[in-house]
Amino acid sequence: MAKKNVDRAVLALLIVMAVLLYFSTANYTGIALKTSAKYVQFLAVSIGVLSVVQLASSLLREQSNVKLILTENMVRFGGLLLGLIIFASVFETLGFFIPAAVFIPVIAVLLGFRSYVAIGLTTAGVLTFVYLVFVQLLSVNLPGLEF
Amino acid sequence: MEYLQIVFSFEALLTIAIGTIAGVAIGGMPGLTATMAVGLLVPFTYTMDPTMGLMLLGGIYCGAMYGGSIPAILLNTPGTPAAVATAIEGYPMSKQGRRALALKVSVTASFVGGMFSVFVLLMFAPFLAQQALKFGPAETFLLALMGLAGIISIADENSSLIKALIAGLIGMIIAVIGTDDMSGSLRYTMGMIELIDGIDFMPALIGLFSMIQMLELSGMRSHKIDTSMLEKSSKKEPMPKGISKHIALGSATGTVIGILPGEGATIAAFISYNFSKRISKTKELFGKGNPEGIAAAEAGNNGCVGGSLVPTLTLGIPGNSVAAALMGAFIIHGMIPGPELFNEYADRTYPFIISMFVANGVFLIVGLSFAPFLARIALIPPAIMVPVVSAFAILGSYALNNAVFDVYMMIAFAVGGLLLKKLGFSLEALILGLILGPIAEGGFTQGMIIGHGSPWIFVESSIAKGMWVIIFVLLIPPLLSYLKLIRGNAKQS
Repeated sequence: MAKKNVDRAVLALLIVMAVLLYFSTANYTGIALKTSAKYVQFLAVSIGVLSVVQLASSLLREQSNVKLILTENMVRFGGLLLGLIIFASVFETLGFFIPAAVFIPVIAVLLGFRSYVAIGLTTAGVLTFVYLVFVQLLSVNLPGLEF
Repeated sequence: MEYLQIVFSFEALLTIAIGTIAGVAIGGMPGLTATMAVGLLVPFTYTMDPTMGLMLLGGIYCGAMYGGSIPAILLNTPGTPAAVATAIEGYPMSKQGRRALALKVSVTASFVGGMFSVFVLLMFAPFLAQQALKFGPAETFLLALMGLAGIISIADENSSLIKALIAGLIGMIIAVIGTDDMSGSLRYTMGMIELIDGIDFMPALIGLFSMIQMLELSGMRSHKIDTSMLEKSSKKEPMPKGISKHIALGSATGTVIGILPGEGATIAAFISYNFSKRISKTKELFGKGNPEGIAAAEAGNNGCVGGSLVPTLTLGIPGNSVAAALMGAFIIHGMIPGPELFNEYADRTYPFIISMFVANGVFLIVGLSFAPFLARIALIPPAIMVPVVSAFAILGSYALNNAVFDVYMMIAFAVGGLLLKKLGFSLEALILGLILGPIAEGGFTQGMIIGHGSPWIFVESSIAKGMWVIIFVLLIPPLLSYLKLIRGNAKQS
């Protein structure tokens, strides 16, 4: 998709958000009407006006059709993103250690790292460090299976 | 002399060193803050000798404030929110192979800022605490505005000033989500109970700085390591000329802002950074790796350490959240903050204050000794660094509130932030808005109540008038240079 089109779509979305935000302050009650509502209205008007100015300037200016490239390697990028989402979704049930023990080697291999000994040592090092510092020393309550 | 003997005993020096090194390590881990560390360790000091316990906590405070700059410089991942401004200059320096110099500037500026603020605490605490009480909600709002003026500075070297302002406003709007302090009602939470307390800035910080970096690295075609950068970094680069004035400016700014109750190191770092940019002879290098920016920001956030303890120890009003946790430690040991601390408990209070000079010295030695080793982080292959940093990003996002929701927020901020970055929106401005938004709203709403709905409250006091002058001084030069740029572009076309 052309970068200028995505840019314009985001700005249009911001203008809609600004309008909704401004009118949402009608639901404020009591003292908030004279305080918080004014603050939110100020933010809504500011972002609305700036987005309109930016959108108008974008429409009036000749712009090239450069494509928006989020990443050069979609497989690796998407793989990491998917890995993060899976890690987060099992975090509560399996805790940190088991997902991390799978996540680190899988992502390292996905990104092209082939030194399996280094991967194993790094994974073990990270897990030991987290256990000693976060669990033992700082008593951070990690969810899931306990060790 | 008697107090010096207490501080320079073997037991005290060991306690301070352990506290400071632990503080550096904690501050260096995104998601773990000085507040969390001091809060967690307060109960452990209960069984310790009160003076030693306080020295341990003081060491952690000093160390953590510096520690946040290390991952900010090396990985573009601020360990604490106060290190965001450091990342803006530190990471580009790292990419240029100048990470050793960036680390050296950071630790030196942190040391000077910390020492200056502790000196001010030692000499002028009771007098300054009285002055800080004159600072009301209206002035707090103006202070937040002063910090937000940094958005203009972030953008004035390129043509996307409007986009930087929009990004700052997006941050401020995100900060509005949660419970409205005025009415107690929920705003924009979409029925999600996780949003009742609003969006914490730590997952946003990790997502916008650290995770974006990892996503970008993962999507790069080549993962070759440029060893020439490391060779460059191993060459000892001297401290840049004229850096001392930026350190001095940051130290003074940080100390003054630290003294104001409720103001934190983040705002101090940003205002110091902004001031530094205004007086710099190399303004054009800001945002591209200017050590002057690191010097001012680090001196500013460490200047807050001693400053924040001024109202805490003399009036019992915590300067910031870490100082509040420290105040808890004083109370646990039967020492109620107030004038009594400097009379009845002088034998504990003064050694505690003096111990912070030692803590600053400890992290200076640690920082200077380890900087060359830390600089070798560039040799770690991205393919192994990405999963490790990502795992820590997940852990850091979770650890602050023990909430998986924060992990999802971190991922959402990373993806959304990447899109905004590619479209030319400033992520630094967004995070600045997110952090300073609640301070601005709090000051604005309380000011409006005190002023019975009249905005004149924001210009009434002499302090407010002075602050408006400073805000205009900060805003006008970048605005003029932006207008010049537009005129230049118009003539060319």
